Amino acid sequence: MAVSQGFKTDLLGSIPSLRAFAMSLAQNADKADDLVQETLVKAWDKHASFQPGTNLKAWLFTILRNEFYSQMRKRGREVQDSDGIMTARLAVHPSQHGQLDLKDFRSALERLPEDQREAIILIGASGFSYEEAAEICGCAVGTIKSRVSRARARLQEILEISGEDEYGPDAISAQVMGKPAA
Amino acid sequence: MKDMAKTSTAGVQRRQGISGEPLGPNSEIGRKLKQYYDELVSDDVPDRFAQLLARLEQAEPGRQKD
Repeated sequence: MAVSQGFKTDLLGSIPSLRAFAMSLAQNADKADDLVQETLVKAWDKHASFQPGTNLKAWLFTILRNEFYSQMRKRGREVQDSDGIMTARLAVHPSQHGQLDLKDFRSALERLPEDQREAIILIGASGFSYEEAAEICGCAVGTIKSRVSRARARLQEILEISGEDEYGPDAISAQVMGKPAA
Repeated sequence: MKDMAKTSTAGVQRRQGISGEPLGPNSEIGRKLKQYYDELVSDDVPDRFAQLLARLEQAEPGRQKD
């Protein structure tokens, strides 16, 4: 069965979202665009396995995500385990009191483990439901919920959103050194 | 009228607080997340992708036009 014009148009239309998701995962524009390219080629090859009427974006995100993790494994890079990582200790101090700027947010996001980052992006930014996100990530809905809540808690911690301005970078260094922050 | 409806929705979300909608419009993290992502989505798409799809289409053996 040949690829229909409609499918091609829908693929084209989903490229901006695919690139955004790829950037969120890969944190690097060249790698992200390579991921998108690979995703489009795979989607084209497997178009017959897409069921029309189902969520094309979710289907494409699944392909892209699988590609991302398989490339990481090929490069011999361990997939980050969210439980064993010290990201939260490497705090970003907001540049202005009460004003969280996008640059700070971006670098905080980069410090999340992949599984948490993808969960919070899928739910909080790409507009997927918990069920869809669970399907894309191949895990249980409860797993997505807990990743999102850990991601959110960690972002708040890194960005010191709930706290007043009492924890500066120095207080954070103190935490790294193992001294109590207060 | 529309504005009023909007305001009351926001009010409900605010009352639901953190547990109600953890990444909603009243959450700082939720807003930043959307801002971060929307910026990525609105980035100009390089031509290479349209060219890639055109090449894939050319390579189709029994390609159909509809």
